[in-house]
Amino acid sequence: MPLETEATAQIRALLDGLKPNDADLLEALHRVQHRYGYVSAEAMRVVGEQLGLATAHVYGATTYYADFRTTPPPQTLIAWCAGAACRLKRSDGILRALEAVLDIRLGEPDPQHRYEITRGQCNGTCELAPMAWVNERVVARITPARAITFARALAAGASTEEALTAFEHSLEGGNP
Amino acid sequence: MTTEASSAADSFAELRARSEADWESWQRPIRPRIDIALDTSSISAGAGPVRDAIERESRARTAAVDLGRMVGVGLQWLNPVVAITWPDGTRVLYGPVKPEHAGALLDEATGRVGAAAAITIGTLAGSRPGVPRVFDHPFFSNEVGRRLLARIGYTDPESLEHYVATGGYSAVQRMLTRHQGPEAIRQAMLDAGLTGRGGAYFPAGTKWTFLATAANPERYLVCNADEGDPGAWVNRIILEGDPHLLVEGMIIAAAATGARHGFIYIRAEYPLAQARVKQAIEQATAAGFLGTGVFGSEMDITLEVIRGAGAYVCGEETGLISSVQDGRGMPRVKPPFPAAAGVFMKPTNVNNVETYSTAPLILRNGSEWYRQVGTERNSGTKIFSFSGDIERIGFTELPWGVPLPSVLEACGGMSGGMPLKAIQAGGPLAGYLPARLLSELTLERETFVPHGALVGSGGIVFIGTDTCSVDINATFADFLEDESCGRCTTCHGGNQRMTEIFRRIQLAGGRREDRHNLELVGNTLQYSNCVHGQASPTIMRNTLRFFSDEYEAHVHNGTCEALRCTGFSRYRVVDQTDPRLPRAQAICPTEAITEDAEGYRILDERCIRCGACEELAPRGIALEAAPAGTPVPRERAYGSPGGRQR
Ligand SMILES: Cc1cc2nc3c(=O)[nH]c(=O)nc-3n(C[C@H](O)[C@H](O)[C@H](O)COP(=O)(O)O)c2cc1C
Ligand code: SF4
Ligand code: SF4
Ligand code: FES
Repeated sequence: MPLETEATAQIRALLDGLKPNDADLLEALHRVQHRYGYVSAEAMRVVGEQLGLATAHVYGATTYYADFRTTPPPQTLIAWCAGAACRLKRSDGILRALEAVLDIRLGEPDPQHRYEITRGQCNGTCELAPMAWVNERVVARITPARAITFARALAAGASTEEALTAFEHSLEGGNP
Repeated sequence: MTTEASSAADSFAELRARSEADWESWQRPIRPRIDIALDTSSISAGAGPVRDAIERESRARTAAVDLGRMVGVGLQWLNPVVAITWPDGTRVLYGPVKPEHAGALLDEATGRVGAAAAITIGTLAGSRPGVPRVFDHPFFSNEVGRRLLARIGYTDPESLEHYVATGGYSAVQRMLTRHQGPEAIRQAMLDAGLTGRGGAYFPAGTKWTFLATAANPERYLVCNADEGDPGAWVNRIILEGDPHLLVEGMIIAAAATGARHGFIYIRAEYPLAQARVKQAIEQATAAGFLGTGVFGSEMDITLEVIRGAGAYVCGEETGLISSVQDGRGMPRVKPPFPAAAGVFMKPTNVNNVETYSTAPLILRNGSEWYRQVGTERNSGTKIFSFSGDIERIGFTELPWGVPLPSVLEACGGMSGGMPLKAIQAGGPLAGYLPARLLSELTLERETFVPHGALVGSGGIVFIGTDTCSVDINATFADFLEDESCGRCTTCHGGNQRMTEIFRRIQLAGGRREDRHNLELVGNTLQYSNCVHGQASPTIMRNTLRFFSDEYEAHVHNGTCEALRCTGFSRYRVVDQTDPRLPRAQAICPTEAITEDAEGYRILDERCIRCGACEELAPRGIALEAAPAGTPVPRERAYGSPGGRQR
C-alpha cells in the first residue's frame, strides 16, 4: 500500500461511510467540492479507490455535471440565469455587458482566476428576473447599467462583497 | 393484530394525540405568532433580513410575540410574505415585507390592528372586517380547492406533527393495518386515473404493476425531483413546503410494488428542498414510518436523497438512473425499461414528485373523490407555475382543463398591457404556440397536441410581443445543445447545428436554405436515442409553422420586429439635448459612444447592444431597426457555449 500523503488522508476522512455500489458517487463529489471548492485529480483518485471505481470513471462523472469544478473556484463566480423568464427580460444584454467589462467569455475564467461567468438554471424565482447568483447570493432585477457598475468594481480589484455593495448602491441611487 | 402491530398502532395514536395538541396551539396560539415564509422564492426576495429585523425588533420591545416558519402560498410577486396568527385563530398574510416593516408588523400583532394595512394581503383563516380572504384573490380564481397544496401556507414545513395532525400518514397507517393489498392500492390509482406528472402522462397504476410483477424481488423506487424545465417549479413547492407528503406517497408506492428502497433525486438548484426532504426522512424514520417493519407490518422501506449536480438530461428517467448509479447521467437505450433493469440493473419505478405525492390523497379520500375535478380524460389537479411577461408570477393548483385565457387573466394579464405573442409551456422540449391559439388551448395535453406541442410538466411561460421568435429559438437550441449528453451525434450535433443556424440568422446572416436545413436537422434529431434529442426540434418546428413570417422577415427582409436580434438592431443617439448623454457615454462597456463637434454618436461596430446607454439616457438614445449592412461585433454578440466537457 502506498504511503498516504496528508491530503489523501484528509480526502479519505471526508468520504467516511461511502461505499462501492451504493449510489454514493455524487455524494462523494459533493463532499469534496464543498470542502475544497473543486475536485482535484488527486481527489478523483481517492474517490475512485473508496468507491471501487477507476479514476477515469470518476473523471467522466465529475466533468459531466455543470456544478463540479476541476479547477479552484475564482474569487467571484457569477451564475447568470439562462432561463426563459430572465431571457424575456433581456438578460442577454446583461451577459454581453458582463463579458465585455470582465473581458471573459461565458464558461471561461480570466487568466488570474479572479472571476468567471457560468450558466445558472432557473430555480423558480422568475419574479426576480433578470437575475444571477454571485457566489450563491441572489442578485435580482439586474439592469445592464447595474451589471456594468458591479463588473467594473470587480475589474478594479474590489472584493465580491464590495462589488455587490456597488451594485446595491446603484439600485438605491436609481442609477449608477 | 401482532404485538408489533398493536404497539405501532399505540405509538401512532400517541403521536397523533401529541400532534393534534401541537397543531391546536399553532392555530390558536397563546400569544400572537409571526410566521416568516422560508422557501426559495421568499428567501431570494429577502426573507432572511426580514426575519432578522422582526426578531431584533421583537427582542428590543420584549414583545409578547413568537416567531414561526411557513412557505409562500403562490403569490410570488408579493414576496417575501409573513403571516400573523392571533389567539382567536385569525391568520392574516402580509407582503411584500421589507425589514423596515418589522415595527408595523409587531404593532399589528400586538393589537394595533391596521398598523400594517399597507402590506396586508388577506386572511388565511378567520375573518377581519375589510380584509379579503387570500384565496379570493383573482390569481386563484381558477382553483377548485387545494389538495396537493392544502398545507401550503398553513403548516410549518419542518414539522412532522403538523403533517400528522392534518391527516398525514393516516393513509399509510390505514393501508397497512387494514391489510389493503398491493393490488388494491394499484387499482385505486388506476380508478382515480392518476397519470405521471413529469410530462409523459403514463398511468401510475400501470407502471406500478410493471414493478410489482417484475421477476426480481429486489426492487427500487426513484423519485424524479430533477425539475429542469426552465419556468417549472411545481415540484419545489411540495419538496420545500410539504415534504412528508412525498415521503408518504413513496411509502404507498413501496407497499404497492414491493420495493424496499427509494432514491429521491433532487436537482442541485434546490438545496433547501434537499435539506427539507432529508429532514422529513429522518423524522419519518424516527417515528417508525420508514425502516424495517413500518407501522408494525412486515414491510421494510428506506428512502435516501441523492443530490443532483446540474444536468438537465438527468431528468430523463434512464439518465436519472445512470446518475444515481455512480456515473455520468447519460440516458440509456430502452429497452430494457426501468421496470426490468433500472438502478443497479434491478427493477425500478421512476415517478415524478407530484405523482407520488398524489397517492396519499387518493388513498385517504378515494378514487371517486379524486375524479370529482378535472375532465373526463384527465382527472384531478396539478400544480402549475406561471412566469414570463405577466403581472403576477407564481403557482396555483388547478384542475385539468382550465381554459388558457382564464389562466392568463388570473395572472393579471400581460405586464404593462403588452400584447401576448406566444405561449411556451412545459419547457424546452414541449413547444411554442402563437397567441391566436390561446382561446383553443386548455390546461390539457389534448388541446396542445394537434398543434405539435405539449403541456408538459407544469411550467407555463407567457411571452409578450417585445420578444423575438428567432431569439427564443437560439436560446432554447443553445440550452438543448449544452444539455445534450453527447451519446448521439444526431442530438449533440443536431442541436449544435440548430444553434449555429439561428445565431447566424440573428446576426443578419440568414440564408434561403436555412429553412430546409432546419427541417432536415429536425428529421435527423428524431432518430436520437432519448426524448431529449427526439423532441429538441419541437420549438423550431412550431416556429416555422406558426411564426413563419417573422422567421422569413429575418432571412429575407433583414428585419427583426422585436429588435432583439443584434444583427438587425442598433442603438442610436436620437436627441442630442438629453443631459444624461455623458453618463450614457461613461457607462458604455465598449467605448462605443464618441463625441465630436456634431455631438454624440454610437459606433455600431463596437456596440454590443447591451442597452446600458438607453437605460441611463432613455430620451437621448433609442433602439431602432438597423439598415442592411450595419456592422455588429460578432465575437462579442454571444456568450460562447459553456465549458462542459462532453
Ligand atoms: C430531457 C428530459 C428531461 C426530463 N426531465 C424530467 C424532470 O425534470 N422531472 C420529471 O419528473 N420528469 C422528467 N422527464 C420525464 C421522465 O423521463 C419520466 O417520464 C418521468 O420522470 C416519469 O414520471 P411520471 O410518470 O410520474 O411522470 C424528462 C424527460 C426528458 C426526455
Ligand atoms: S438523445 Fe441526446 S440526450 Fe438523449 S441519449 Fe442521445 S445524446 Fe444523450
Ligand atoms: S448598447 Fe451598450 S455597448 Fe452599445 S453603445 Fe449602448 S452602452 Fe455601449
Ligand atoms: S428564468 Fe431566471 S429565475 Fe426563472
